[in-house]
Amino acid sequence: MIRYYLLVMGIFLALGLIPKSHRLMNALAAGNGLLHLVMSCTALLMFDLPGRLGESLYLDHLNLYVELITALGFSAAAFYARGYTDSLMEAGELDPKNLKTFYLAFNLLLVTSTVALFSDNLALFWIFAELTTVCAAMLVAILSARENIDAALKYVFIVSGAMLFAFLGLVFLFTLSEQTLGEGTLNWTVLAVHASEFSPALLLASFTFTFIGFGAKAGVAPFHTWLPDAYARAPSVSAILSGLMQNLGIYGIIRMYALLRESSAAPQASSILIAAGVFSIALASFSMFQQRNLKRLIAFSSVEHMGLLLIGIGIGTPIALFWTLYYMLVHILVKETLLFSAGILHRQYRSNMRENMKDVFKLQPMAAWCLILGSIAIVGMPPFPLFPAKYFILLESAIVSPYMTLAVLLMLILAAASFANFLLKAFSKVTVEEENEKEEHRHITRTPAGTGENAKELSTGKAGYEKSRLAGQYMVKDGMKVPTIFMLALALALGFYFPDSLRDLLDAIILELGYV
Amino acid sequence: MIDPLFLEGIIKVLFVFVLISAGLIISTRNLSSVLTTYTIQSFLLSAVSFLLYMIDGKGQLLLLAGLTLASKVILIPYFISRIEEKIKIGRDLHFAYLEPTPSLLLSIGLILLSYTFLSRVFEGLPLSRLFFFGAVIGLSLTLMGMLVMFSRKKVITKALGYLSMENGVLMFGLFVTELPFIIEVLIIIDLIILVMLTTILAVGMDSSIEEYRQKFRKLQIWTGVESL
Repeated sequence: MIRYYLLVMGIFLALGLIPKSHRLMNALAAGNGLLHLVMSCTALLMFDLPGRLGESLYLDHLNLYVELITALGFSAAAFYARGYTDSLMEAGELDPKNLKTFYLAFNLLLVTSTVALFSDNLALFWIFAELTTVCAAMLVAILSARENIDAALKYVFIVSGAMLFAFLGLVFLFTLSEQTLGEGTLNWTVLAVHASEFSPALLLASFTFTFIGFGAKAGVAPFHTWLPDAYARAPSVSAILSGLMQNLGIYGIIRMYALLRESSAAPQASSILIAAGVFSIALASFSMFQQRNLKRLIAFSSVEHMGLLLIGIGIGTPIALFWTLYYMLVHILVKETLLFSAGILHRQYRSNMRENMKDVFKLQPMAAWCLILGSIAIVGMPPFPLFPAKYFILLESAIVSPYMTLAVLLMLILAAASFANFLLKAFSKVTVEEENEKEEHRHITRTPAGTGENAKELSTGKAGYEKSRLAGQYMVKDGMKVPTIFMLALALALGFYFPDSLRDLLDAIILELGYV
Repeated sequence: MIDPLFLEGIIKVLFVFVLISAGLIISTRNLSSVLTTYTIQSFLLSAVSFLLYMIDGKGQLLLLAGLTLASKVILIPYFISRIEEKIKIGRDLHFAYLEPTPSLLLSIGLILLSYTFLSRVFEGLPLSRLFFFGAVIGLSLTLMGMLVMFSRKKVITKALGYLSMENGVLMFGLFVTELPFIIEVLIIIDLIILVMLTTILAVGMDSSIEEYRQKFRKLQIWTGVESL
């Protein structure tokens, strides 16, 4: 089955190389995203889960759910990419010759991550996860500017190097299964059945090594160092995709932890996860404070959220896992909103730095509001859906230690303050009104007669001034506005209404992972 | 038939050479020597795998030896040497955090660390002495490769460090267990793609040719720091 999928997708990608027009290439990419979205929805509704497709593909609620998130994120990014890459090409930053490479890597990233998610064999998961790193790095390097290449190389070396450790962990796992079952296997389904028979010490060693690899993929501290660079230096679209790939790392960690749950090594594994989680949150929230680069701020906020997800997995109760899974979805929705808006602001100011932003509400009101609402959402304020997710994970974390809950809460407050600090300083800068007033004054002194005329003159003067000031305004294409608002609206809707089907889906995942 | 004990003796000698090659990759400044050392290291790995085949007689090991020879001794070094010619720099003089001598001392520590770690983890496993040592050497090679990635500045050397790390993983897998052959093939493919990507990108970073520098300086607005 995996061969057919790769074959079909290979033909699709080869076809994607033919068209010359940007519109068609973009439509293919969006179609690819929507196709995967529809496919995973259909599989969710039609298939008897958990089920198998052929020898190597395994479908259950967890990987379908993550695939759903990934495909949703991709489709939105594809719609956004058109206007964004257009403006990059207009500014001469993206070489039109590289556009094909961009879309090739874009589509390939979705295909490889899909295969990684659905492969039952952990080695296959490992290899395709590696390939997603390569594709994502290509997307980061696409502008062929020195800084981009630097960020892309950092990304590849850190993640791939760490992934080699994950491979060592898989070798351990293989040995374990060979020892217990007589024949070595890396099939997750088989391992999950026999995990309780494995030797705890080796299982823990295997978990630790795989955690290094998947943790680096997810951008967990201390393996997060690639992340701020990739976010800040890459074009927004690429940053979004690297962000989506973080979920792949978390997915791997959830799978590995589910293996360990039955064994006596579970408490140690939990402490590793929780320690890494708390460390990530601490490091991220202190780095966010006084951060002047918008995209770096968002990047560190990603590290912080990955830390919270790790804590959610590490607690190990069904409730915590439920909200962790939910968190994965809403985090992507809000994070994409933020990055989409940051991308628009970057096109406007050609910079991510706070001090270069001026008159944001005049120039880019939509992006400004999306950024504000997105920040409110990301720090976990109601009515946005991150509030219940954070709330319940923190509540559950009190089982482990109430002091940790308190510490995490304080650090989350610090992160929230950093967002507020950034927004206040960036958005409150308005071009000094004095000039404006001076101009008005001149108009008034010139036409002393007739108040009606005076008022008219004043208004035209103001309009003219407005025009000159807005001359440098970057015209946001509808294709960029729609996905931004759509993701935010979806997040808001989830905040008000928790669909029963989603709840059933998450319950099913928890059941399948053997939590209940 | 050659005496297996004699073959085991040769493998042990090769272990020593593998460690020496890892040490050389850490400390050599000349880029082409680093590449040669890597090639020799891969060749040693291929030889180890061939000798294991002579002992065990498993066809898979022979295939692995052939695959390693083709990809890591011929294909990848050839590709990298082409790139090295292109960027016209011969030496990687700068070290980021650690100078060669401390890193060599540190790598001795890493070997000891992997020995103690593995002897605790593998307590219950029926591994023979030789295979246990193979695993230790594999793990140390991985860690030493990581050290190269940390301490070197040039991208090409970093890539070679990554490759040496991968050699270590392969060696570890070789001695601890027998991975399905298809996985080994996929890893090699993954490696080749990765090496191609990083070395092509390295042309932009490492190059001493002014033309490249110009081209890449043009687009500095993306740093955000020194932007407009």
